[in-house]
Amino acid sequence: MSGRSATAGSQSSLREANRALVLSTVQRWGGLTQVELAQSTGLSAATVSTIVRELLGAGLVDTAVTTRSGRRAQLVTVARRVGLAVGVQVAHRHLRVILGDFAHEIVADQSLPLPNEHRMDTTLDRAALLVVDLLERVGSSLDEVVGVGVAVPAPVDAATGMISVRGIMRGWDGVHLGQTLSKRIACPVFVDNDANLGALAESTLGAAKAFRDSVYVRASYGVGSGLVIDGRVHRGFAGTAGEIGHIQVDPGGAICRCGNRGCLDTVVGATALVEALRTNRGPLTLRDVVQLAKDGDPGCVRVVADAGAQIGAVVAGLGQVVNPQLVVVGGELAETGGVLLEPMREAIARRVPLNQIAPLEVVPAALGVQAEVVGALLLALQAADVAVRVGEGEDEAAAG
Amino acid sequence: MNAARVPLLSMRGITKRFGAVEALVDVDLDVHAHEVVALVGDNGAGKSTLAKVITGVFQPDAGIIEMNGTPVTVPSPSVAHELRIATVFQDLALCDNLDVTANLFLGRELRDNGVLDDAAMEQVTRQVLLKLASRIPSVRMPLSALSAGQRQTVAIARTLIGEPQLVVLDEPTAALSVVQTAEVLTHIERLRDMGLGVIIISHNMNDVRAVSDRIEVLRHGRNNGSYDASRTSYEEIIAAITGATRAEAGLRTAS
Repeated sequence: MSGRSATAGSQSSLREANRALVLSTVQRWGGLTQVELAQSTGLSAATVSTIVRELLGAGLVDTAVTTRSGRRAQLVTVARRVGLAVGVQVAHRHLRVILGDFAHEIVADQSLPLPNEHRMDTTLDRAALLVVDLLERVGSSLDEVVGVGVAVPAPVDAATGMISVRGIMRGWDGVHLGQTLSKRIACPVFVDNDANLGALAESTLGAAKAFRDSVYVRASYGVGSGLVIDGRVHRGFAGTAGEIGHIQVDPGGAICRCGNRGCLDTVVGATALVEALRTNRGPLTLRDVVQLAKDGDPGCVRVVADAGAQIGAVVAGLGQVVNPQLVVVGGELAETGGVLLEPMREAIARRVPLNQIAPLEVVPAALGVQAEVVGALLLALQAADVAVRVGEGEDEAAAG
Repeated sequence: MNAARVPLLSMRGITKRFGAVEALVDVDLDVHAHEVVALVGDNGAGKSTLAKVITGVFQPDAGIIEMNGTPVTVPSPSVAHELRIATVFQDLALCDNLDVTANLFLGRELRDNGVLDDAAMEQVTRQVLLKLASRIPSVRMPLSALSAGQRQTVAIARTLIGEPQLVVLDEPTAALSVVQTAEVLTHIERLRDMGLGVIIISHNMNDVRAVSDRIEVLRHGRNNGSYDASRTSYEEIIAAITGATRAEAGLRTAS
């Protein structure tokens, strides 16, 4: 942790090791009292107290008074600069909230499983409660929050703050989502489509960091994409740019939520994948399908691979229109790795004419399943209009 | 997950009377490995009674219980434990004056030549807590220092010592904050991912529908419907609980 070279086994190297241990423990848990620190690290209370004082002096931790089972305790947290931002991901079957600072360090993270077709008012209420609870966990409060970014699995119209296509998220239509949440937590709230935010995260901090033009594909309960053109996320007039889940791939297919027939979502969405496996495997969840595909179950591998080929064919078209340097793939299905990605690569290689400069590569999201929620965090940080500290040698953003 | 598999637990025609009161009448229940089944119903519907029959606290007056296709009787909680059925009732049955590790191994301490093997117990405790993705920083924290959600985590972790095949949780998210509920629901997902069968009894429809595969409704001690959690609305389940809809006797929705 420090640049000094100390002889191994010497007093000072032991002190450094103990300091590093205390700091990494605090980072891992978001916030601990000195008593909890002593128990967790195995150091004596006196040692912990001395080290915390040193770290406080060095500006690496903050302390605050808190209570633990009725008694006053000293809470130790990672030092935060210039305030906190919140990232919220509303997904089909879960809600995820993270707290992060301007150095993109994630200081708290909690995920809540949700029912199918979860209701907007309940979910936004619980999101607000989660935010408040997490702030308390790190010894902070709503005053320190500069903004909240929210990722939703539907296209959002920036002008009205509403979901721009009716029916995609039933019960969430016709409401200004940002204002609704903002009323519950009295902070500025910024809402955008989850694939757009995944694109933002991957192009700012992840696999597409070095490129001006990239596409992020989110293969989850539905499929969406975010387009980064000339370094900025392109949302389009009504915010529906990138909604590849609603490109028609089967003229005789099922009616989609959006009202059209044979959309990509009706063929490779979670419902379609799970239904295809019902006779063979009984009722499965998307999580089951992903795990089984990773374990090599032939039926699940087949279903995911076919989905990859189908998505690849559509992304190839996207590639020819947008001419990105890179395609980054995230979402639950991407957790299967090559099972999804190889057929995608093959479909793209077959259709996109090889330009003179470089072939279009397809890579997994560097931030994995955290891309969307980290993107939501970045949205809040950027909208807060404070100079964002970039790089300084830190490549990892999601400390998950 | 394969519909043709033998259920982990299969109960048929379970009846239990307390004097003149019929607590359970002709109840059927199936639970498979890698599945979460929620038992829901109004107060007095028989959910806790059924759970106590499974865990050996009560013996049924009629009916058959099979585990993995083999008929069994569960005359006591210790037999339930031998059958690898683990339970967490609402009071959690934990000792406040002991730490996390001691609570996990209460009554089943690991010994090394007659002496308590603290190192081994701590190691196992850490592994189990890690498996559940728990947020308890130290395995030697006294229980009195933990929050309600963390205590629930310890209670669930305790069930994993002894490698159960079936875990029964009675009101696991009652009186918990949203963050604590999130942790417990995540633990339940982990139990399912580990291949266990899980029965949860709960009044909270959001939590039930968030983690369950199937929802079994009881009403006045009888089955009143079996529902696929991902395809059934909140309203349909409430209708079954209140009796606005009645499941036909003998007609059960396929699971």
